[in-house]
Amino acid sequence: MATESVTGTPTLFLRNATGLVRGWSVRDSIIYACLATNFVTLGIYEFTFAGPAFPQGQFITSIIISAILVSFLVVAYSGLIVTIPRAGGDYVWQTRILGGGIGFVMAATGWWFILWLWAPIYGNILSVMVFQPLWATLGSPSGALWFTSKTGIFVVCLITIAIAGILVSLGMAGYARIQKWCFYGGLVAFAVVIILLLVNSHASFVSSFNYEAQKIFGVHNAYAATNAAANKAGYSTYNIGFGPIGPTMLLVPAMMFFILWPNWGSTLYGEIRGASDFKRVFTGMFTGLWMTVLLVIVFLLLVDKTIGWGFYQNLNSLDYNATPQFGIWPYPFMFAGWLVHNTAFQVILILGLSLWFFGWVGTLFLSSSRVIFAAAFDRVLPDRAAEVSEKRKVPFYSLILMLLPAAGLSAVYAYWLSFRNYTLDATLVIAMTYLVSAIAVVILPWRKPDLWAASPASRFKLFGVPVVPAAGWVTIAFLVFDLVEWFSNDSYFVNNHDSLYFMGIMYVLAIVLYVVARIVRRRQGIDLGLVNKEIPVE
Amino acid sequence: MKIFFATDIHGSEVCWRKFLNSAAFYKADLVVLGGDVTGKAMVPITARSGYWEVTLRGETLRIDSKSELDDVMTRIRNSGFYPAIVSPDELTHLGQNEAAVGERFEHEMISSLDRWLDMADGKLRGGEIPCILNGGNDDIFEIDNVIESSPCVSFAEGKLMDLDGFSLVSMGWTNPTPWNTYREAPEDELAAKIEQLASLVPDMGRAIFNFHAPPYGTGLDEAPALDENLRPMHGGAVMKPVGSTAVRDAIVKHQPMLSVHGHIHESRAIKRLGRTMAINPGSVYGDGVLQGAVLELDKKKAKVSRYLLVNG
Repeated sequence: MATESVTGTPTLFLRNATGLVRGWSVRDSIIYACLATNFVTLGIYEFTFAGPAFPQGQFITSIIISAILVSFLVVAYSGLIVTIPRAGGDYVWQTRILGGGIGFVMAATGWWFILWLWAPIYGNILSVMVFQPLWATLGSPSGALWFTSKTGIFVVCLITIAIAGILVSLGMAGYARIQKWCFYGGLVAFAVVIILLLVNSHASFVSSFNYEAQKIFGVHNAYAATNAAANKAGYSTYNIGFGPIGPTMLLVPAMMFFILWPNWGSTLYGEIRGASDFKRVFTGMFTGLWMTVLLVIVFLLLVDKTIGWGFYQNLNSLDYNATPQFGIWPYPFMFAGWLVHNTAFQVILILGLSLWFFGWVGTLFLSSSRVIFAAAFDRVLPDRAAEVSEKRKVPFYSLILMLLPAAGLSAVYAYWLSFRNYTLDATLVIAMTYLVSAIAVVILPWRKPDLWAASPASRFKLFGVPVVPAAGWVTIAFLVFDLVEWFSNDSYFVNNHDSLYFMGIMYVLAIVLYVVARIVRRRQGIDLGLVNKEIPVE
Repeated sequence: MKIFFATDIHGSEVCWRKFLNSAAFYKADLVVLGGDVTGKAMVPITARSGYWEVTLRGETLRIDSKSELDDVMTRIRNSGFYPAIVSPDELTHLGQNEAAVGERFEHEMISSLDRWLDMADGKLRGGEIPCILNGGNDDIFEIDNVIESSPCVSFAEGKLMDLDGFSLVSMGWTNPTPWNTYREAPEDELAAKIEQLASLVPDMGRAIFNFHAPPYGTGLDEAPALDENLRPMHGGAVMKPVGSTAVRDAIVKHQPMLSVHGHIHESRAIKRLGRTMAINPGSVYGDGVLQGAVLELDKKKAKVSRYLLVNG
């Protein structure tokens, strides 16, 4: 027996019964949110594009604005999580609140199809943040250059897909254990970078940069040469600061590439929901999000102090214009490591920071496999899609549905240069899914009044206004802002024909799958409309 | 023949009401509830002079009228909890005395089940629509006699039942859990219980195993891995099989046409083990949604001809 009390007075008696688990720890939640909003991999990767694309925009201001807006998403998702605390997340919430068809289309596109594109993006990140700097540091700049070739990118994409596929096959048990150590290890490596940038002066960095660039790449006086090359290309940047707001707001949709994901992992909670659940769920995601923001701001300020803001953006602009200074991607952590003239140290630092990549890449297909299984059990996909091999417990068919298209898209990504520009498609499609979940939050009190009344989330009001649906409205507003910018502004490389066709095909594919399933199942005498139809109570 | 199977409603009155309507809704010939009927929690409502007081999800409410009290009690029941009206002294006593809480729990479980069976009498047209219930590991043994005494609901625990040519055998016992619940037994004892039931079945090709515990390692039994404080490990991302090896072995050995399970709420899944279709429709009783399986059995071919997992 257990008892819950308020100021010593019992308010709930629990007996021994199966499944009375406590919510997972806030610390775990913070780690997941922090790894999901992965500044060390996704953030740094995006900065190379965002700075040159919007040279007048201010990074720190845009990141703070983005995080404030995403905080509303955190509130909205916390509401969904404690109201319908089920593994399956958006698929379950949307099918339950909005219906099976919408739920399938948005989940299939946002948690399955678009992950085919995330695979080559992760592959490219592995190439630019691990293989390229490692080969260069170990004295083989030509080897590093190979990873920038079409074949090099394709091979690394396949390696990434293989890693993610193997981890799905092996199950999460072992991986989850190493994830935490990856987080802590990456954090230590990041702390080393921070200390290096803190204790060294700008002059010391310039001198170290010139020394290592000469040693590794044979480039003389590389710091000045970088600035000169960027100036020659006509690129100029603002000093780091807080305005102007207009161009800074244009950075917000770009920052979503790394900051939109604090809600990635928090979908499993106990059945007996208490008042503290909402606060616990919210605290985990919110703290993880703002911890990321803190790390980014500290890093950017130290970049300004030691590396030089203009120089950092000049490096990015050269890469943006396909003329990277050393032929490889300008990895700022590698340059920070150059402050210590020791190859072993530099290699260890790169490997240490790569832990944040390896600690997260294993989850690449996790959501896809959950959606595929759920759709198969709902009879939308063939039963085989959910089959698991007897001996090795490998979800063979669902792996095919994830890995083969991802490999195909990796080939397109590697060998068709313009396709690499559609990186933000990967954010846009998931943002669409989030948007529909935000709509679900807003209409939840009307669509499912009993469920809402029973939810701890319904208790939270500000001036009489329920906080969760209100946060849902703000989430809708900022996601619509992002979508409008993505679709209307050429600078994001999302609104060109090929990109739109690519995303459109995904939605058409999902709709076709659902409609075909309805027709085929009807012929088999099975009405899929019954799956989510509520039985009358009276 | 069309069967609607649901399980693990854990005291949720809204799910029970839906279950009673499920035969008409899904046009089923028979409805089966596979155990864990009783709730896990009890909410004390303190009767004070002229009003009542209750704390729901951290919010303390003052209830001034009988109709308001009825509404609150309905809300509590629909969540799967038992409302218990107590005096301030009783509440203090319950807070200090675990045995008293156990007794009160038992009283509330039995009286609630009595009320449910009265409702069933009306909804199932006095037994015209066959309705089968059995226990689950979370159900106290005292409910067995209450269900047995119902004129319109059949208690299936430990019995062979003939369903128009199909044989149904039922068992609510499970392999041990970390919560040390009522109907738990080591795997070898479970195997013996199952063999005893299986020996009653005349034709395994037309048999249905209604065993609360799902078969081990089939995807029907995936639960979050827990630490020693019963807290999900690694952010709840790690699931592990917690089903019964005895149930699995029995299915593999006897190859019944169908086996239906519950127990692990988050593990809604279907798995074929040889010719047997094994199903766990899962449970989200806390949301007021009745998950279940609509199963059409082909009498001639002795197989499940159609199935659909539903969230009713």
